[in-house]
Amino acid sequence: MTSTMDRRALLTRAALGATGLVAASAMGSLAPEAAFATSAQAPDPGAPDPNFAEGLITGRNQDLLQVKGSDGRLHKIQLTGVTSIWKLRPTTIDQAMIGDGLYARGVKLPNGVLAAESVWLNIVNLDVMINSISRTGLNLDHFGQKIFGHVQEGVTAAAYNGTPAISDLSLLKVGRHVQVIGAWRPGTSEIDIATIYAAN
Amino acid sequence: MDVMYGLVGEASWFCCGNAWGPCASTGTGACGTCHSGNFQHAWTNTSDACYAITRPDNCGVTGVSRRGCGFRHATTNLCNGSRVVTSIADCGPRTRSFCGERACCGGTCASNRVIDLTPAAFTRIASLNAGLIPAGIDVG
Repeated sequence: MTSTMDRRALLTRAALGATGLVAASAMGSLAPEAAFATSAQAPDPGAPDPNFAEGLITGRNQDLLQVKGSDGRLHKIQLTGVTSIWKLRPTTIDQAMIGDGLYARGVKLPNGVLAAESVWLNIVNLDVMINSISRTGLNLDHFGQKIFGHVQEGVTAAAYNGTPAISDLSLLKVGRHVQVIGAWRPGTSEIDIATIYAAN
Repeated sequence: MDVMYGLVGEASWFCCGNAWGPCASTGTGACGTCHSGNFQHAWTNTSDACYAITRPDNCGVTGVSRRGCGFRHATTNLCNGSRVVTSIADCGPRTRSFCGERACCGGTCASNRVIDLTPAAFTRIASLNAGLIPAGIDVG
């Protein structure tokens, strides 16, 4: 596995345009799963992590995203050829649109730009109760907030009690609490469902 | 050598503080300090009122220590060994709603939800789209 320092150096160079996808591939996988090393934790517990950002995309200049944090802070996030992107499914950097919400992890460069290692677009993780089930989706209650979860053929799956996720949603029950990983549809109270976690 | 943890179970993530989308209404948690970008977590036993909501004992998870806001725990992703230290900022997860649920990777599994991390903390040890991971918890 590529070491954390290798990844940081690679990401920094990628953000600065000195290298790119070819170099990344030559060093091995840069999928999110490979990113989590046992390096020393920089920020103190309870403190903000400078290598993390969240907010809404307010502008895009080629592969540089302008993001307004929900706390009002402004972020500049550089997408590179080695950035992994999730938007309902693993996808490509061109899918980052103005209006999308995001979480990003990467390396904060000296110029204040976050060179992104991983970006999750519109991702939500909701503890909800199922109000009703239809052919096209689920009506969900998120602590009193009504949300419609669209079922996306070929994407939506359910994991029942820790078993591998399957496309069969027939075991879901109205009135039960489930956890839903999905992608928010910006400006709406609707999501597209990736995975539903249901216990017995 | 096997590593021993004070508590083994599922870890997930949650949003808090100022947020976008469906998270916008979540607030700053039971401690009033929770923010998605901070290294923080929710704990099932921060008070009597909290424990009445989470009830891990209903799922057979006993002996979860009473810990207050700001107390530090270390969470280790049992899938890859990565670890993050966070402080308590909220009450949760609602263990009782998911009794018996398991999270697995390869041959490593853990049952029942015992901790929720903020996105900043969870992304330190796993990918957000993983949703649930088996985790070991210790005092941080």
